[in-house]
Amino acid sequence: MDYDLSRIDYTICGITFPDTLKILPIPVGPKIQQKFTIGDKNGVLQCLSIKDEEPVVQFKTLPGKPITSVQLASSTGTLTDKIFAASGNEVKGYTRKGKVFLTIETPLTETITSMYVNCRCVLGVDLILCSGRTVTCYRDLREIHSYICDDRVLDIAAYNTPNNTRMRLLVLVANKGAEILENGYSLAHTAISAGPTRLAVPPSLHALDVYAFYGAADGSLGLIIYEGSTLTSKCLMEGRGLGSVVCLGWFMGNGGTHLAVGRHDGSIQLYLIDMENMSGKPRLKFTYFCGEPVTSVCGGCVGTDDHELLAATFSGRIFGLRSQRLVPGVANLTNIPQDALASRRAKLESEVIRLEKQTANEREKYQRNTRSLHGGLSAPPLLDIQYELQGATRDGWQEAKITSAVPLDMLFIYCKRKLDLLTDNAAVLSICSSQSGAKDLLATVRCQAGTRRLWVRMRYILQANDPVSRAESVQVLIYALPSAAPRVARLITLRLPVLPYYSQHENMDKENEKRSWCQVHITGSFSVAEMTSWLTDALPGDLPRPSANVAFARSHTLLRTLLVCRYQRGMGIFISDNVTTIAIIKDIISNCSVKKNIRIEISTDIPDNCCVQSFQGIKEQFETEYRTYKDNLLKKAISALELDERATSEEAPTICNEYQRVWSISDDTLTDTHFEELVDTIDEWYVDFRSLTLRNTDYTTERVKLRKALKDCELEQILLILANENVMPHDID
Amino acid sequence: MQVSTVQPVFKLELNHKVTPNVVTIAKYDGTHPCLTASAGYDKIIIHHPHGSVVSGRAQRSQAHGEVSELNLSQAIIAIASGPIKPDCGRDMLLIGSPTQILAYDVHDNIDLFFKEAQDGVNVIVTGNFGKYNEVVVIVGGNSSVQGLDWQGNELFWNVVGGKVYDIITFDFDKDGENELLIGCDDSFIRVLKNNQFIVEIAETGPVVCLATVSDVRFAYGLANGTIGIYEEGIRLWRVKSKQNALSLRWSGDSLACCWGNGRIDWREGNTGKVLRRVQMRMNAAAMLLADYRSVGAPDLVCVSDRGEVLGYPPYQENTGFNATSKKMPTEEDRMAITELFNKKQALMVELQHYEANAASGSTSLESADRPMTAMPTNTRLQVAVSAVPDEGNLDLAITTNNETIVRAALILAEGIFETGETLARHPLPAQLRSILHVPLKPPRDVPVDVHIKALVGYGDSEQFHIFELTKQLPRFSMYTLAPPSLANTKHGSHVTFHITERVQRICIWLNQNFLLEQEIELETEETKELNISFICLRDRTRLDMDFKADGQVKFSTTDIRLAGDLIQSLAIFLNLSDLQSVAHFPEAEKKLRAEMDNVSEIGEMRSRLAAETAERAQLITALLPAAQDAASYDLKEMLNRYKEVIMLNEELLMGCHIRRATQEQAVTSLKNLHTVLQQATRLRVGKYSKAVVSASRKAVRENNIEALIKIIQVGDS
Repeated sequence: MDYDLSRIDYTICGITFPDTLKILPIPVGPKIQQKFTIGDKNGVLQCLSIKDEEPVVQFKTLPGKPITSVQLASSTGTLTDKIFAASGNEVKGYTRKGKVFLTIETPLTETITSMYVNCRCVLGVDLILCSGRTVTCYRDLREIHSYICDDRVLDIAAYNTPNNTRMRLLVLVANKGAEILENGYSLAHTAISAGPTRLAVPPSLHALDVYAFYGAADGSLGLIIYEGSTLTSKCLMEGRGLGSVVCLGWFMGNGGTHLAVGRHDGSIQLYLIDMENMSGKPRLKFTYFCGEPVTSVCGGCVGTDDHELLAATFSGRIFGLRSQRLVPGVANLTNIPQDALASRRAKLESEVIRLEKQTANEREKYQRNTRSLHGGLSAPPLLDIQYELQGATRDGWQEAKITSAVPLDMLFIYCKRKLDLLTDNAAVLSICSSQSGAKDLLATVRCQAGTRRLWVRMRYILQANDPVSRAESVQVLIYALPSAAPRVARLITLRLPVLPYYSQHENMDKENEKRSWCQVHITGSFSVAEMTSWLTDALPGDLPRPSANVAFARSHTLLRTLLVCRYQRGMGIFISDNVTTIAIIKDIISNCSVKKNIRIEISTDIPDNCCVQSFQGIKEQFETEYRTYKDNLLKKAISALELDERATSEEAPTICNEYQRVWSISDDTLTDTHFEELVDTIDEWYVDFRSLTLRNTDYTTERVKLRKALKDCELEQILLILANENVMPHDID
Repeated sequence: MQVSTVQPVFKLELNHKVTPNVVTIAKYDGTHPCLTASAGYDKIIIHHPHGSVVSGRAQRSQAHGEVSELNLSQAIIAIASGPIKPDCGRDMLLIGSPTQILAYDVHDNIDLFFKEAQDGVNVIVTGNFGKYNEVVVIVGGNSSVQGLDWQGNELFWNVVGGKVYDIITFDFDKDGENELLIGCDDSFIRVLKNNQFIVEIAETGPVVCLATVSDVRFAYGLANGTIGIYEEGIRLWRVKSKQNALSLRWSGDSLACCWGNGRIDWREGNTGKVLRRVQMRMNAAAMLLADYRSVGAPDLVCVSDRGEVLGYPPYQENTGFNATSKKMPTEEDRMAITELFNKKQALMVELQHYEANAASGSTSLESADRPMTAMPTNTRLQVAVSAVPDEGNLDLAITTNNETIVRAALILAEGIFETGETLARHPLPAQLRSILHVPLKPPRDVPVDVHIKALVGYGDSEQFHIFELTKQLPRFSMYTLAPPSLANTKHGSHVTFHITERVQRICIWLNQNFLLEQEIELETEETKELNISFICLRDRTRLDMDFKADGQVKFSTTDIRLAGDLIQSLAIFLNLSDLQSVAHFPEAEKKLRAEMDNVSEIGEMRSRLAAETAERAQLITALLPAAQDAASYDLKEMLNRYKEVIMLNEELLMGCHIRRATQEQAVTSLKNLHTVLQQATRLRVGKYSKAVVSASRKAVRENNIEALIKIIQVGDS
């Protein structure tokens, strides 16, 4: 850590959404401390300034609908700095003094998630709102155009266009990447696999350049560039196990421009960016952990004349991170009278004591109620808990992230089927014995004190040859128990999809690739909405909203096989080069339709060479995995020998080169093996192939042979069996 | 909490693997500390940065210039060091192998003593204990502790329940003399004073490490990842981790804890709050306190299993989280403010909760649009524990007083569940009732605190109210009153003794220690006698207790352990310092005979096998060069000789397997034997119990089975 910044708590507010804290630009001269504004879930927008580390409220609105986005009108030249706050489908504009000068109620059906405002001196106000999948542009409060993206819009940035007054918009679309919009039309598009969630436009950018930094769900950082009508992206910093990026900001202190990153895992980083060469590698200068998701970070002169980083967290803590180098020796530099802090502390102490008394009173009242015979109703509000279930990664774990506004004491997890479970290092997972011999899963996760965010990873336990459970999605109930009052436990219901691996979104043009496509064709009297709800049992993540014609493609994170879904009213076609996927989709849809009492007809089309072709597709991967698997066995054996440094010395090694190679492989690469899974998968392909093509006469010997060939990686033998040349379709009448 | 960036004050590589927990630091020349560790099966390495060790037996290591190697022909289980030789300030090295203890003077290259350890060796410590003037060697074996002087003479011996994991010398009762604190795998911390167990502290898992903190405090670590501190026999705090604690040390007013995965944390002594944390690159092997830099104050010396050694100075505030910044008064204020905001935030949430509750309080319960989170305010939770003899367990019934249902129940208690620390019940939607039954089955007879968290609401609620209760199960909760109809089975196993106490007091003891639906009350004030029968829920055996008017007491049970537990519990309750008893447990006696036979048999077999092995090994060493020689003149001959070598080798291997099996058998037999002896001591209290130990030790050594049986029966030979 190069910088030494320390935390100064300013104030608290309600729960905050991402990017709802903004520092107001400096009105005149450089020597004035800046104000900042924050909107929270209670609908309170406040504008504060800091004097002697004590917040001074400039204005504060009354509670209302949750504020989901806050923007400043970044006007150039004028001093009219306006604050815009979006809540629900409404946008309100406030002046510096807190006067409402503008209220727009838009016809949007979804909550506004992000917006962009531009006050121009001559042309009036441009307002761009993103809600759900739509981007709507208003000019002078009139809607001029809107654009519907393929998926949810996550963030937006706007740029000037050369030679005209239009706006060029850079839009981040969930699962799809980035897109450039101009005048309601898409100009360019690029897919970014890291899953960018936030944009940050570099300050002091040349007016016409389109550059933006992005932070992604996998924790990585990158740069998006639009040049010569092509949109490109470049990853600058790998995620390295850091949490997903929630917010980005700029920090100018310490003699450079820094990208400030706030993450879901509670960390804040400062990366030094070379403004001359933005695609250079950012240098990590500072890290801070605050223990709960960071929702906003931005830099400015808030507490002192020096730059500091202001951050807001999910539960509503607002604090600054300020350089320490001013403090020792010359205390005057901070401009704080010595006793100011002490008096602030005393004030807070007395406030806490008052609150304690008040709470004790209320508690007493509440408890008195519990003793009365004609008690009323105890109906505490729902705990503020956010959760999110992610699709499976390569190794099949599906992660549920749980964020709470109050510290958690325990999670209690229930599922009627056994699952593999993993959790945070900071928590103790304990699996309880099942209830009276049933096959259910009961587990508790005991958290450390002050835990506000937690992840739980779940994975299906492979159950070979169990067609019933294979096509059944699983419901997981998680009860979150907070550690202090209120003594209520919130129930979170998660549905684990049947095909968790299909979490990667793909372009539709992949369908034209030459693969051996298996197909299932479904007709019947179902609606698009029904089909969508059936597919939620099967696929992870959000599905496209029902519309007349739905088409999307996903790929398997481990096998890279593709699944293309197309459906409309009464008809659906699913194509995949993975025969098992088709078999499972078929089972799910027939199960669901039976439940709903809808008559459907299912037909499948399985090419004879599908197993061979699919195996060819993963052959290399299979071979690599086989080698890793073998290396793993060998390494275990080698490590059983008591080898010392001499074993691998340059001059006279005691073990041969091959063994030295295996010995030097790090344990991490070796534990990352999927060989067994691949064997099971290919075996399953074969079984599904035989049953879907009605060749399910006795083939146990072939299966045994196949498994043996797979275990020993005898490629020719595998291909021979999978090709099925000597097996003729069985006569079925 | 973030991993601290504190740098070690010294760092060195031993270039040898280190066996976890077989590490010590000794001053072989009286001044310079040398790190000594087991490096693999039978090799000891001595690191001597301050000049080489003059020794004939130790060889300079090829892998490291400052390390000497010492090869023994036996596996090394434990090592220790201490100035055990009187009038000699130098530390002696003590090496424990599975069956032997060797005391070795490294400096003079002399063996001090060599002693067979029949009970095995798990841990060796040295220290001042009791009235002994010299530094004593204390050896913890399989269910035994043994004290030796510097010549290997036995000073004391006692039986404990289970394998001994760690021992410290500690003045538990503050009388100026050290007692022994013994951590065993039967989840007890025992205090041995004057060859008598004065206190037993029940813990929730095998006790793997102990450390002295201050005059009145000691720290402990369990195999299930719990660590904590006791002050005067009362637990101050404990925390549980996923990792296993390897070593605990008190360093610079904080408790340093070294975990198996190489993490080291410094914790505050009063609360267990983590002050700072570092992570080693490898798994940890040991953490010791020693002045390895010769600066006058001991550093924490942490050793990883790959031989990396890191030294950390005693913890100080300003080297904590912000290593570079000096702490300013303003800084303190700021931290206090952060803390106050934490408090304020929590209070505000609670307050909001009540306010929102009051706002919605007007809605009526019967209305269809009852909020998803609601519940009548006067809902109460009741908990009852009762015995279910048919199922062989206790039934914990959790019930609400109205139509709300118990959605789920979490039972938190340690050491009574097969898996983990919790038991949960989550009925299927069709089985949701306002009552929920949870079966409990404590495996040991110790008092258990059961924490219950019940989630109460309605079947379709999205949020449930948490009710928390703690229920204490008495020590003998798994014994329930026998129905009068139950026929009295004759088994003849019983223990009798004499007390001078009114029956009324006995009644109090019964009511406190048994789970009774109705308290036992005497019919009249004048009642002098009490007969009461219980049934064990675990195996449905019978327990009869007769308290006669003349003070004669008879406990009839087939379970000698239970009899011991009852006597100990009663003795503590009645504050008896000494108690002699007459016991008759034919089954225990039978078992004792069998195990004694076993032990002597195995002993013979072991020596025979050892001789065979030595013979074969000698043959091989002769044959190998012969085969190599033959290569030069007769290839056929060479092949034959190699074949012989291979055959012999296979025989050796086979012999090794047999030896291992017999060794395991011997250990189990010994353990069983010691268990019976320990149970016999627990039938007596105070000096009589001590007499049992010393008499039985003598009898075991003389292989006198009849004397042993007599000891069990009457407490003395």
